[in-house]
Amino acid sequence: MAEPTSARRQAGMQSAGMKKTNSERASPRYESREKVTGMARYPADMRLPRVAHAYLCTSRIARGTIQAFDLAAAKAVPGVLDILTHETIGDQPRQVPAIYQGGYLSDSFRPLGSAEIAYWGQPIAVVIAETYEIAREAARRIDVTYASQSPPAATIDSPEAVTQPLAPMDIDVGDFDVAYARAPVKIDTRYSTPAQHQNPMELFATQCVWEGDHLTVHEPSQYVNNLKFGLAEQLNIAPERIRVISTYVGGAFGAKGFLTQRTALIAMAARRLGRPVKLVATREQGFTVSGYRAETRHHVQLGANRDGRLTALKHEGWELTSRADTVAMGAVSMTTRLYACPNIVGRVNAVSADRSTPGFMRAPGEMPYAFALETALDELSCELDMDPIELRRVNDTRTEPVGGLPYTSRSLMQCFDSAAAAFGWKDRTRLPGSMRDGDWLVGWGCATAFYPTYAGNSAARVRLSADGRVHVSSATHELGQGAYTMMAQVAAEELGVPVEQVTVSLGDTDLPPAVVAGGSSTTASLAPAIMAACDAIRARLGVTDATSGTVSTAMATSGMGSIEEFAETRAPGLPADSIKGLYRGMATPFGGVHMADRVQFALGAQFVEVRVHARTHEIRVARAVGAFAAGRIINARTAHGQLVGGMIWGIGSALHEQTELDERNASYLNANLADYLLPVNADIHDIEAIMVPEEDSLVNAAGVKGVGEIGVVGVAAAISNAIHHATGRRLRDLPFRIENLMNET
Amino acid sequence: MNEEQDNNQPVSRQRRRFLVGSAQGGAAALFLSPLGNLGAAAPRKPASSEDIVSDARTPLPMTLEVNGKPHSLRLDTRMTLLDALRDEIGLTGTKKGCDHGQCGACTVLVDGRRELSCLTLAVAAQGREIQTIEGLANADGALHPMQQAFIEHDAFQCGYCTPGQILSAIGCVREGHADTPESIREFMSGNLCRCAAYPNIVAAVTQARQAMEE
Ligand code: FES
Ligand code: FES
Repeated sequence: MAEPTSARRQAGMQSAGMKKTNSERASPRYESREKVTGMARYPADMRLPRVAHAYLCTSRIARGTIQAFDLAAAKAVPGVLDILTHETIGDQPRQVPAIYQGGYLSDSFRPLGSAEIAYWGQPIAVVIAETYEIAREAARRIDVTYASQSPPAATIDSPEAVTQPLAPMDIDVGDFDVAYARAPVKIDTRYSTPAQHQNPMELFATQCVWEGDHLTVHEPSQYVNNLKFGLAEQLNIAPERIRVISTYVGGAFGAKGFLTQRTALIAMAARRLGRPVKLVATREQGFTVSGYRAETRHHVQLGANRDGRLTALKHEGWELTSRADTVAMGAVSMTTRLYACPNIVGRVNAVSADRSTPGFMRAPGEMPYAFALETALDELSCELDMDPIELRRVNDTRTEPVGGLPYTSRSLMQCFDSAAAAFGWKDRTRLPGSMRDGDWLVGWGCATAFYPTYAGNSAARVRLSADGRVHVSSATHELGQGAYTMMAQVAAEELGVPVEQVTVSLGDTDLPPAVVAGGSSTTASLAPAIMAACDAIRARLGVTDATSGTVSTAMATSGMGSIEEFAETRAPGLPADSIKGLYRGMATPFGGVHMADRVQFALGAQFVEVRVHARTHEIRVARAVGAFAAGRIINARTAHGQLVGGMIWGIGSALHEQTELDERNASYLNANLADYLLPVNADIHDIEAIMVPEEDSLVNAAGVKGVGEIGVVGVAAAISNAIHHATGRRLRDLPFRIENLMNET
Repeated sequence: MNEEQDNNQPVSRQRRRFLVGSAQGGAAALFLSPLGNLGAAAPRKPASSEDIVSDARTPLPMTLEVNGKPHSLRLDTRMTLLDALRDEIGLTGTKKGCDHGQCGACTVLVDGRRELSCLTLAVAAQGREIQTIEGLANADGALHPMQQAFIEHDAFQCGYCTPGQILSAIGCVREGHADTPESIREFMSGNLCRCAAYPNIVAAVTQARQAMEE
């Protein structure tokens, strides 16, 4: 279990002849066949003998207390086995800290912890029955008397909401006030983004089965070890007695990153009953089972010289949070570091309301904060009558302006140039409304995309058999991003065997632990561990290169049946004792703007063409071109899927997605897939993602920056900018809908 | 805009027919369930409600013909075809994404046409030929051209919507709605893909249409 030194990792890479540039390979997904034949088993697909079914009963008020339950009608339904309420489960599960306090849970409010109601949709009872139909029927027969405290604070602007400046996130460089006052060109604007929900297609499912005092949990997860250790803490049992299995995840996007309160309830129900219990929360319940992207507000002030160079930049954000947890993504830490500027202020405020605790959703802070900054920059370019690409160029920098630290690599302008060329930007006419096509007002816009490069501690095991077969395993996660494929491919390249000879296991706490599948960090974290394990295998065989066949030939003649090597790797910037966290479900990605000596970002450029109908004001994104530089790309095919999918998420964030609030009772009005609009096939036209070659040997041993989230970032700003170009109207509040282009002229 | 699902039509018609045809009480209970979301807070105690619903709960013997094989089952009459396939027959390839006819993840072929199995009661599927994702490949393992095309075009990421996309795509081709990318986009819009593999889905359907027509 020796931790390989970085020198050794480096040597391994060189001896294996690894290219740190984009791999030419684009092999099909490892698990393709399972996914097209229905054989991929997601956690809800596991069939447990004698399984009982759980159904959640959720709160219809947002703030107050439960005065009484009448369970008589529910209990009378034949087939009801148990009903959990705060009155029947005592003080179980234990109150334990959320991730924001150094714990495991996605939030710290125990939904069945007392009679207290803290948010609409809060689970208040769990019915267990012989069948799903019976559990659902009984849940609907529970009669609840509430004492409602109203009106609740629904959102940031509600009078009852409490605003809290987060001073540790303050950024102050130079003298903003003086520089802004003196700036010959100024922008002073406000932006907003709505609450959004990840809505992975797979519902929040949990199946728990006890065998003696051992618990197995089948639950879709982005971090099986977080789930295991957190649940052990909640249930007050030894972590060794829990196994979490999640070999396929039907999309996650941040929603399945950390242990939610539902899991312990289902584990307890299964223990009380002495039978396996299965929960599949409904789509509506899913809106409050886990975190979400909270609504944000932004105030941006830019001061610039007439040549476009920024002299003053201030970005202040407000983010909604719950009363129980102070959660803020605070991405001013990034928007203040993107462009050269001598005078900077960054501020972040959390606004507490009567809502469930927000969390992570693909590019959690990057999407909203980039929307604000990148739209403001476009407004500045209009004010200056300057091409928006040129505005980015004059403010491009190799060092971030807050701490003066160098970027490990930065290919922003290469991205702009290649995307602009592919898009045909040179044919754009500057004046708003000048590119009309019949009834359609055509607008072209662009924006910067960025995502910090993170990696976390991870471990992997690789076994090479005498017949040349390879098995790679790690408790990482397949969310659709291509983890199986990446693992197989890295091992194949490192050992010089055809990828078809490699098998992979993941998503199981019995395997070597890995980092949370978040922060676009899976490949950056795990590829180095697989490389180190393969390196050790080659060392045992005395083989220094991995050109096709040499390793398997050496293996075949070695007389050994198989060689198995375990390797753990510590991510750059993390202290030596952080490795312990890997074995306690606390491997968190690190990097971005938090490194002592540098900053590391993947960067990109988003270009869109929108068409706004002159009469109906319908807004279409006719085409989008994104170019991204994200270090080494392991598999061009899966990376392309991530980038295109991300860009489509960006279109959704701009034109469709908004969780609508009923401000009278802080409830969600559209907690279903018909009313929560997200892009459907007919919304999507030409999408092109370009991968700009980039080498970065500093970010991590694999040279990988990650592509899971950057595709989302900047699209909404590019669309806002394009709508302005098409219509002359500047939209600053997401999402942009037809009605936003009506009324005013 | 989300719900361009012409395949909804036969499903809801089917459900209505069942509601009318069943005992009054059972129908009332069935009718309540989609509306039940409105909240446990509202007391809902019609007179003699216990008598009324016991009818729906009593397991009913039925036979479902899935992928050419008959399955004899005794099911709660409120059970959807989706849950019957997954929980009773064990064909978990068909997925639940919403249970409300809003996402397409549960799409199966019924008598050769695409239908949403979450909006079809199991009892209403008797006597009809049901085809699921598990029944598409040949016995020798050879994939259906649509499955093959999905692999070749990387028309999925997490794979959760994929069984529904593939069956819907086969329905789309058979309906003659797969002649142009625009038509595919339109007629595949009832199948949401949150991973947003849409451009690759369109490419896969285009390829498979040619193969299916050969
Ligand atoms: S599960 Fe049937 S349409 Fe969503
Ligand atoms: S592949 Fe994930 S939802 Fe379509």
